[in-house]
Amino acid sequence: MDPGRWLGRALIWVVMAAFVVFFALPIVWLLLAPTKTLRQLLLDGPFTVGSFDGLLQNWMDLTSYQNGLIWTWLGNSAMYSGLALIVTLAISIPAGYALALTDFRGRRTLLATTLVVMLIPNTALVLPIFLELSAVRLVGSPLSVILPFSFFPFGVYLTYIYFSTAVSRDLLDAARIDGASELRVFTRVAMPLATPVIALVGFFSFTGNWNNYFLPFVMVPGRKAPIQVGLAELLSNVPQFNPTNAASTTIDLPALALGTLFSVAPVLIIFLFSQRFLVTGMTAGGTKE
Amino acid sequence: MAPQHHRTSVSRLLITATAIAGLAALTACSGPAGEIDENYGFVVAEQNPDSEITIWADATRQPAVEAFQKAHPEVKVNLVVDDGSANGSATLQTKIALADQAGEGWPDVAFSTQTNDASWAAKETNGVQAFAAPLDKGYFDEDFLSGFTPGALDPVTIDDTVYGLRNDLAPVLFWYNKTLLDEFGYDVPTTWEEYQELGDKLASDHPDYFLGTVGDSFAGPYVFYWSGEAPIYQVDGDTFHSDTSDANSMKVTEMLDHMVANGTLTQDSVFGADFVAKADHLVAIPGPAWYSGALFQNPDSVNAAAGQWGAANPLTWENGGDVTGNVGGGMWYASSHSKNLEAVKTFLEFIVSDPSTAGTGGLPAYQSAADAWLSDQASSGFYDGDFAGAVSTAAGSVWNGWGYPNFSPETSWTKIIIPGIASGKTIKELSADWQKEMQNEAQAQGYTIG
Amino acid sequence: MGVAFVTPYTLFLLAFGALPTLYAIYLAFTKNNAFVGLDNFVRVVQDYRFMPAVGHVGLYLIVWLISLIVLVVLLALAVHGVRSRRLSTSVRFIYYIPGALAGASSVLLWLFVLDPSVSPVSGLLNLLGSDSFVNTIQIDRLPVVLAIIAFWTGAGGWIVIMYGALNNIPNEVMEAARIDGAGPIKTALFVQIPLLRKWISYMVILSLAAGTQLFVEPRVLSQASRGVVPQDYSLNQLAFLFAFKQNDFNGSAAISLLLLVVALGLSVFFVFRGGLFERD
Repeated sequence: MDPGRWLGRALIWVVMAAFVVFFALPIVWLLLAPTKTLRQLLLDGPFTVGSFDGLLQNWMDLTSYQNGLIWTWLGNSAMYSGLALIVTLAISIPAGYALALTDFRGRRTLLATTLVVMLIPNTALVLPIFLELSAVRLVGSPLSVILPFSFFPFGVYLTYIYFSTAVSRDLLDAARIDGASELRVFTRVAMPLATPVIALVGFFSFTGNWNNYFLPFVMVPGRKAPIQVGLAELLSNVPQFNPTNAASTTIDLPALALGTLFSVAPVLIIFLFSQRFLVTGMTAGGTKE
Repeated sequence: MAPQHHRTSVSRLLITATAIAGLAALTACSGPAGEIDENYGFVVAEQNPDSEITIWADATRQPAVEAFQKAHPEVKVNLVVDDGSANGSATLQTKIALADQAGEGWPDVAFSTQTNDASWAAKETNGVQAFAAPLDKGYFDEDFLSGFTPGALDPVTIDDTVYGLRNDLAPVLFWYNKTLLDEFGYDVPTTWEEYQELGDKLASDHPDYFLGTVGDSFAGPYVFYWSGEAPIYQVDGDTFHSDTSDANSMKVTEMLDHMVANGTLTQDSVFGADFVAKADHLVAIPGPAWYSGALFQNPDSVNAAAGQWGAANPLTWENGGDVTGNVGGGMWYASSHSKNLEAVKTFLEFIVSDPSTAGTGGLPAYQSAADAWLSDQASSGFYDGDFAGAVSTAAGSVWNGWGYPNFSPETSWTKIIIPGIASGKTIKELSADWQKEMQNEAQAQGYTIG
Repeated sequence: MGVAFVTPYTLFLLAFGALPTLYAIYLAFTKNNAFVGLDNFVRVVQDYRFMPAVGHVGLYLIVWLISLIVLVVLLALAVHGVRSRRLSTSVRFIYYIPGALAGASSVLLWLFVLDPSVSPVSGLLNLLGSDSFVNTIQIDRLPVVLAIIAFWTGAGGWIVIMYGALNNIPNEVMEAARIDGAGPIKTALFVQIPLLRKWISYMVILSLAAGTQLFVEPRVLSQASRGVVPQDYSLNQLAFLFAFKQNDFNGSAAISLLLLVVALGLSVFFVFRGGLFERD
């Protein structure tokens, strides 16, 4: 191999390795920080391990904050994302199926609208939806989060792509000729084939909603907030970031790091076991040439 | 299937139309219902004497709230800790605005470290009853309210109606480290000019020792400019006035720049780890009365030994009046939407006037509690010098040239000055931008600039 | 029958897509329920915070998009060039895992990384001239800081996607390039990158639309910096302040509508011109 090419290859490896460090380093740090005391965090090397006692202490600090408010927040997150997941699946799967495999007037319009709306970032509609829901006095109720969370055009599109490529119309027509009703065709023929796309839509809906901040931030503040909003609230009690001087009631940095870990744990775990989903899902956004 | 198609498009139109009509109707008719209750002086929600009261306050207030729970176990309390709107973050205002829109979710009691919240809390917004309940129209006894130090309720008095209760008075005093001053052989300065000279001597003879900080959003405006009678935050009716190039403003700016340059004023926050780490090099610091509990008697901060620190009369300018500044002194508000106004009253009376906790580490605004606090401090001999005398002098000499508009000078200080000096600029270079920022904020809030 | 299947979805589309948009339009053109033409737009655009916010968001977008395009393509090509299957999978996995930390969590983690007193890379921060948190998040540095955070969370997913697209390039094409004597750089420039073009534009459009909506990152940074990062840094923050600090819902709706028009325009353009989606 000539030296030029060798050098080029080495350079590529260095860049690739540098980015491995860039992406992994903060997460490694986050996993270690909750094991330390504040003093260790400030003075020891960043990648030293604290102690189990340190972790236990931080755990106690975090979970005893406001009588276990963190559990309330996590519970809210689970409730909002969980219920939204069910509603999302219940409305998206039939819709995607119908768009792919049935004919009705307005189908093309609905499909085009879905495409356009799905590319709009969800933050863009937060304040308009807030104003709308406040006009109908729904703000503050769990519905004000669950209902908007359940509107998931990307899920409809994924289902549409799945059914139009993976399930043939002939199969459905055969069932129809056998005298099955449309509902039966859907539940008995299409649904059993839909498991992969259900998992896929579920994955995106749940992780997206779990991590959503802006919408629940305006809709359900305080004790009704999900963990993402709660986490930002915790900041108010960290002396390093906010002036406050009653030491007995504050959250220290290691406990805050633990809180951050809490807030991402479910999604992180889902991510760890579903790399394939993510890839197929994101590439399904576009069709092959 | 053709007829069905037809039907859906029609019904779809219908749904949209009804929904929009419904929205319009609802927006048009959301106003307070009910009549003004003569016993209270405002429209009162249906009362439930057993209901829990929700309190929003910052972490500093938590021990006092817990003391209340001990003293009054019959009242059920739900404390929600927030940032107390520190640094002009407007947390309380935005959270109340959200609750106003939701039509629910108000706290029963709210605390703010800012003194200017009554400017919005006493007003009805978009048809929703003003959040802060008027307190002197029948709700609280006149006898109780008259127990406040004269003038303490001025910031929350709008059109002769009182909308909140003062937690503590926060006049700026001069705190000094007796041990260090004696060791170095310096006198306690009495004027800002002497303070600056002391800085020069320290910088040359004892570098690394310092005389305070400009790193807190409140320190710059309230401690230094307010004391200097700088006309930068004035309100007259709907007119806001700010002039950072006035002679009084300039003299303060020049002193700050000089002392930041020689290192005797640092850029740390007094609540930050960096400040605490070098607190044993703090020789003196001008600051509010609540520094007593927040810094000197706080084991996690300066943690002074008895007799080590003292408080002197506020510094004055040689060509200025005998006046000083003021840093907040928090405010408590009762919600006009509360379902348990009696419990709220019990709580508020306790929190501002109980001698054991009133003032939450500062000078209580309630006269009898203040007297008790001052005599406690005097008899404990914790502070060097005439502590009670200095505090009383300071409390009586807060310059009345500043107003309480609906925004804080702290936000512009943190936005313009703090990052500016961190990157090496002087306040003098930044002061025009600072003034512009305050004027812009004022305009956005509906004030005219004069 | 298809209609029955899509009805619930259509209702949601109306309730949380169409209706809020219509209501925002209504609010943006009225004041106290009276039509006022463009008054609300004029007021918000002339507000002293509007143009700076546009500038902040614009600068951030430029920094972010350029780094995203260059680095994502480069890294996807690099990972694609790795022969060992296991190594390639592991590298992709590490790149994409930060995607699990979105929203407030990722900003919070970055607060630690950016604060020299606890940062795992405090040496690097000092080298770049920041000795304090306030210094790291100065407003001139913020576009870069925000771009780094966004890149950290989002780039991995795109690298994986680009990698997948590279895998879809038929072997014959790659083989032909090799026979023609093209080295890896030439192959990348003249064969692979042109075939990635659609994906790159998809990434740019989505990122551009999402980037204009900046909210949670500057908000949390503002909270953590005692206001050194101002509360009115981005346009969505400004819309929030209009609504909840000034009680001006009409002005707030006007800003939201402007942002929505941008997102909608990008999206419509891409769906109908980009050709990436099957619209049958």
